[in-house]
Amino acid sequence: MVGTSVVTVEDFAVEAGKVEEFARAVKDDNPAHRDADAAAEQGFDRVPAPLTYERVSSFPRYRTTGGRGIDLGFAQEYTIHGEQAYEYERPLQVGDVLTGTTTLSDVYEREGSRGGTMTFAVLETEYADRDGEVVLTARSTLIETGGAIRPEGDDD
Amino acid sequence: MTDGRAEAPVAADLSVGDTGPEVVVSDLDRSDFVKYAGASGDFNPIHYNEPLATAAGYESVFAQGMFTAGVAARAVADWFGLANVRSYGVRFQAQVWPGDTVTAVAEVTGVEVGGDVATVEADVLVTNQDGEAVVTGRASAELPADR
Repeated sequence: MVGTSVVTVEDFAVEAGKVEEFARAVKDDNPAHRDADAAAEQGFDRVPAPLTYERVSSFPRYRTTGGRGIDLGFAQEYTIHGEQAYEYERPLQVGDVLTGTTTLSDVYEREGSRGGTMTFAVLETEYADRDGEVVLTARSTLIETGGAIRPEGDDD
Repeated sequence: MTDGRAEAPVAADLSVGDTGPEVVVSDLDRSDFVKYAGASGDFNPIHYNEPLATAAGYESVFAQGMFTAGVAARAVADWFGLANVRSYGVRFQAQVWPGDTVTAVAEVTGVEVGGDVATVEADVLVTNQDGEAVVTGRASAELPADR
């Protein structure tokens, strides 16, 4: 299963209204996220999105499949989002239209500190722009806790 | 800069242990989690449906981890400059609840100069009003080595 690769995101258009809404939601007051002139003053030719804007790709409009595209076999009620990481070639910018390809890059087990076996899965999604250039790589670590405990962390 | 953002530093200005500007968000409200749900598309009801959250054993609804990570990203972007950030990663350590105040700060852990450019590595720490770590993370930025 590791190495399986699926196109999970298509026509993920970075839109000005959504960028502004997202910036407001994460309380980012940088005017560059709202206004092309302010963005230009900071050296951007187009309005840039905040660093975690990739989450917006979860809207059904942009998904090619329901769920994550790769079935991990994890029980949803015991699955938590443990880690999230991004590597940037450049910030996402208004006008980008991105395609996301997700690869199951790792699966491993670890004994939980409070008992039970936890299964970790790492899903890596590369986002390419219309020129086919990868601009962003997102890495999500999902954890199936085994159900015996509810570890701290965010439910996915 | 007219918006008051400091110009991005150069690597020569930075040393291991330096900390950037704190990002503080006070007295979080359930509506903050609702707004983030709508903005991000994370509609897991555990973050806004109180009866469901309490039935699941939580004291109340709690923030999406990526809400807190999104707030904390400013500690990196506003310090190093959004365009210079090369990586940002977080680990979710504890829940953030309504009424919490979260503080995010980045601390330089490494500066590696290679010619005219340098890679700066930093740790990111987000704590609540009790000093408990709720999110930890790491970031890197590519900056000019010197002016």
